Amino acid sequence: MNSSTDPEGGASQFAVSRRKLLCTAANGFGWLALQHLLAGDAGAAADEVNPLRAKPPHFPASADAVIFIFNVGAPSSMDTFDPKPVLNQRAGEPMPASFGEVGGQFTDGSNPILGTPWRFRRHGESGMPVSELFPNVARHVDDICFVRSFVTRSVVHAPAMYEVHSGRLFATHPSVGSWVTYGLGSVSENLPAYVVMPQPEGTPEGGTSCWSQGFLPSVYQGTLLRPGPSPILHLKRPDGMTRSRQRDMLDVLQAMNAMDAGEFDSEMQARIAAYELAFRMQSHAPEAVDLTGESVRTKRAYGLEAERTREFGTRLLLARRLVERGVRFVQIYSGGGPISMQWDAHKHLKQNHEKMAGHSDRPVAALLADLKQRGLLDRTLVVWGAEFGRLPTSESGNGRDHNPHGFTMWFAGGGVRGGQSIGATDEFGLHAVERRCSMRDFHATILHALGLDQRGLWYLHNGRHEKLTDFGGRVIDSVFS
Amino acid sequence: MPESTAALIAVLAASAVPLAAQAQQPGGEAAGEVGYWAFSAPAPSAAPPVADSWVRGPVDAFIRHRLQERALRPSPQASRERLARRVSLDLTGLPPTREQMLAFLADPSPDSYRRFVDSLLASPHYGERWAQKWLDVVRYADTNGFELDGYREHAWRYRDYVVRSFNQDKPFDRFVCEQVAGDELFPGDEEALIATGFHAAGPRHMVGGNQDKEEARQEVLTEMVLGVGQALLGLTVQCARCHDHKFDPITQKDYYRLAAFFAGSDLEDAVLATAAEQERSETLRAAHEQRLAPIKQRLDELEAPFREQARERKRQQLGPEHAAALATPEDRRSEKQERLAKEANSQIKPAWYEVLPLIPPEVKETRTALRDQMHALDLVKPAPPRTALAVKNTAAAEPTHVLLGGDHRRKGDSVAAGFLSSIGSLGFTVPDGAAGRRAALAKWLTDAAHPLVARVMVNRVWEFRMGRGLVRDPNNFGLLGGLPTHPGLLDALAARFVEEGWSIKSIDRLIVLSSAYRQAADIDPEKAAADPGNELYWRASRRRLSAESIRDSALAASGRLNRALAGRPVRIPIEPEVYDLIFTEAEPDNLWPVTPDRREHDRRSLYLLNKRTVRLPFLANFDQPDTMTSCSVRSTSTHALQSLSLLNSDFMQVQARSLAERLRRECGGGDPVCQIGSLFRITLARDPTPAEQRLAKGFLASSPSADRLQDLSLAILNRNEFVYRP
Repeated sequence: MNSSTDPEGGASQFAVSRRKLLCTAANGFGWLALQHLLAGDAGAAADEVNPLRAKPPHFPASADAVIFIFNVGAPSSMDTFDPKPVLNQRAGEPMPASFGEVGGQFTDGSNPILGTPWRFRRHGESGMPVSELFPNVARHVDDICFVRSFVTRSVVHAPAMYEVHSGRLFATHPSVGSWVTYGLGSVSENLPAYVVMPQPEGTPEGGTSCWSQGFLPSVYQGTLLRPGPSPILHLKRPDGMTRSRQRDMLDVLQAMNAMDAGEFDSEMQARIAAYELAFRMQSHAPEAVDLTGESVRTKRAYGLEAERTREFGTRLLLARRLVERGVRFVQIYSGGGPISMQWDAHKHLKQNHEKMAGHSDRPVAALLADLKQRGLLDRTLVVWGAEFGRLPTSESGNGRDHNPHGFTMWFAGGGVRGGQSIGATDEFGLHAVERRCSMRDFHATILHALGLDQRGLWYLHNGRHEKLTDFGGRVIDSVFS
Repeated sequence: MPESTAALIAVLAASAVPLAAQAQQPGGEAAGEVGYWAFSAPAPSAAPPVADSWVRGPVDAFIRHRLQERALRPSPQASRERLARRVSLDLTGLPPTREQMLAFLADPSPDSYRRFVDSLLASPHYGERWAQKWLDVVRYADTNGFELDGYREHAWRYRDYVVRSFNQDKPFDRFVCEQVAGDELFPGDEEALIATGFHAAGPRHMVGGNQDKEEARQEVLTEMVLGVGQALLGLTVQCARCHDHKFDPITQKDYYRLAAFFAGSDLEDAVLATAAEQERSETLRAAHEQRLAPIKQRLDELEAPFREQARERKRQQLGPEHAAALATPEDRRSEKQERLAKEANSQIKPAWYEVLPLIPPEVKETRTALRDQMHALDLVKPAPPRTALAVKNTAAAEPTHVLLGGDHRRKGDSVAAGFLSSIGSLGFTVPDGAAGRRAALAKWLTDAAHPLVARVMVNRVWEFRMGRGLVRDPNNFGLLGGLPTHPGLLDALAARFVEEGWSIKSIDRLIVLSSAYRQAADIDPEKAAADPGNELYWRASRRRLSAESIRDSALAASGRLNRALAGRPVRIPIEPEVYDLIFTEAEPDNLWPVTPDRREHDRRSLYLLNKRTVRLPFLANFDQPDTMTSCSVRSTSTHALQSLSLLNSDFMQVQARSLAERLRRECGGGDPVCQIGSLFRITLARDPTPAEQRLAKGFLASSPSADRLQDLSLAILNRNEFVYRP
């Protein structure tokens, strides 16, 4: 038996005597604290009792929440959002000698130029170009700001992924979601503040380190969430443990915990509060992932009726539901695990990108439309990106190797001025040549939208003031104006 | 973040700049003599005279003296039960057994606590507890990290070496020498060779493709310098890799001089096995391969037609140029066609996920059975010959340069290996060749005149037992680490440590026998107002147990704990959600071969396989460090995911059920008073209070269900008091 067969209001055998027991057992302040905590009001000690309490930003924010769609394995910029007509004109020719040796992970630039298999068209009032791979996203270009000149510092997936997530090439630092949670806390009383939804087929190359809290306390960790009856690890009560039975157990536990919690002992009180949050989460998290209340129209929009979009569409719909319920940062992955389920098109670029874009185009477009329609887009920053882009030259005759020297990511919502592009790569799409943006700039920009000053958000670790952007990045301010 | 901390940092930072600047002379040399305390030799002074029966020894004299200055009185002594549980958890990471408690409580002698402490110091679990701490500091794990996160088959020998060393109370100077240069200083000593695994403990990036060899080499060197810098010197030496240290008198040149000690060293798997052992191992391995070979062959034969089918399908899809090139006989291909044919072969090579769907169900069943057989054999694979993950000297040392901005492509001046200039050579010299450099470093580190190494270690011991370092961050004796709260005590401990032959056990004993250690942990609001952070130690600190201690304590309470020492890392069953987090591009079966012997699953947490990219949620939730950087003090966070793990995980269900069974077994007829008494004594090492007795009895009586006892057991295992050091 589990909670679904146990009516929520099920009478507890222990309830009758609970109050009496608690009174006798936990006299003095412990009892008072317990009453407050059980009532969800921790009083003056709130700061220390709940490290996740919502904190004001450093300055007025244009976004309260982030949905970061990370495309594992790296989609090609020149085949999606950064058209390079010269590639088709000079397909099969070598790159001009002036480019020198072009470093990928597996190729050295001696391979010929590979044309793009897709046509680009201009869209929206802004006329931003998007390839045929993203016909649905293309309808939202007026809400999207493309930055075409990002660079990362490694040609290898894992280090580059770490850089995009944490600013460092090594998995030693907290991810951007952890920093944001540390800086702003949570406005949800029933759900984790920072939620991660990987591809069911597997994680990114960088593994769980991508969303790690690093040296920050584990309260700032990304919590994995999956669709279905047990969305969070250990959320589901064990077989035979009904809700009322668990409540009885918790009552006796909390009475003992209150005996251990002195008036001045905020850590002990924090534990009492954590148990109550855990108890609430057991009903609220399944509710948050339960899509039965969503309209047929919404589900169709996200592509839940079609096989190729169902899985990713479900996760993006969940992302919207989580943000709606106060979750601060949603990290979601398109791709992971076997190479067939990544954007890592070392060969068969056409099949690979059509498959991956086929999974994600419609759901991503639906997310933007849905957020907008519900008035959430204004305060939700949507970020679309990857660890790098791909080279203009070919690999295996019909694929592309990694290109960290210049690639596109995009922003929407949360104060972003859509319908524009910032920065540029050279005519072949190899190097960022105009307004080169580092990952520090990327992170500074996300923090800026959330009202966080990159220099004011730090944590002392091993004798160093660690910050997400280390020595500081430049906010790409034209994203917002 | 707290404003006060920010303000403090600002003050420190402001005062630091002139100091660091003053310490540096033109030419990038830091001055040998600086006014900065941590770089000067300890100046032990006699303990201040304090006339008070509370003072049992030098530790108490220093503590009492500072308390008196602030007109604070220490707290009364903790109850014998709480003290026993505290010191047992501190020294062994495990709660006392009931037998230990009975013996202690029944011992009428005034010496009973000392005798109890001595028995804990003699327990083999003492070394396990220390090893966990040391492995945190050296960021030990059983895998490399990064995408492949390969398994380090031999790393555990270093883990066991650390356990043994603490159990033997190996003099710390010897412990340092073995780890830094065991191969050079003690040739032929197997233990000392295993010790050099210290340099290999950190993460390492191993990946295919075009890798910059020099960059990879620099990463290895960076990790080696980091290990010595943080674990032994307690300095943020790594800050000087790209630029002169901003706060401490460490120049960028100093950093590369330190790196040059390792310029002639590389990581290696050093075979320890004798020729006879190797031969035996080889025979076993060959026999194993023989059993495996027919299975592999059958699998290959079974898959071959479908692989060929997949390849053929893909061949059909080749572009005309590629198809033509592939169709051309090899010896008649043009240069361009050679490239095209190579590409074509890459394009048509089928991946496992392209072959699998072509296999019909009945064949797939056979295939699964064969793969299961293969994986089952994997579990009984003979162990490789005894090998240590160690370091060795290369034939010649590579030249070392200052790297501008830490970038290996921007080489500055070349430098020779040399000691931190603000400490000086202490009379040691470094040989020019590859050999002997690390030996010189080890000698320098362990010289009695070294201002840092002994202080850093006694501060770790103090932090471990008292909850906060005399220097707040044991990994940072630099300026931002702050001044010691009790400088006299720190220097007195350091001096005594060296004088008494670098014995960790004797410092441990000194601390846990002090009155300061024995205080109760209760918070007194008046004293808390005067010293909210308890920096003067007017009470004991109540700290949450480490992740490992929580798990180990639950196993001890349930009676399931397997107390075996040492050995290969254990893979316990993991939740499917966690299994899915293991990255692979290959067929995702057999990624986590669970250790077959179930008794192994109840081993202490120290022995569980520590994989850098896949953390065990139960331990990670309770702030087990991620092993990517050195962790000197564990953070303690409190959140709902911990509660969910302690309430609902399979692990906790098993412990609660086993504990309830244990109580039923012990209290024949199911007498609730007996059960409740036993429950409290097993889990909290004390009798229940009358209020607790009433509460528990009421709970057990409120339902006739047998589950009540299990639920009460689970509640106690979740209780604040159970997961906190009293």
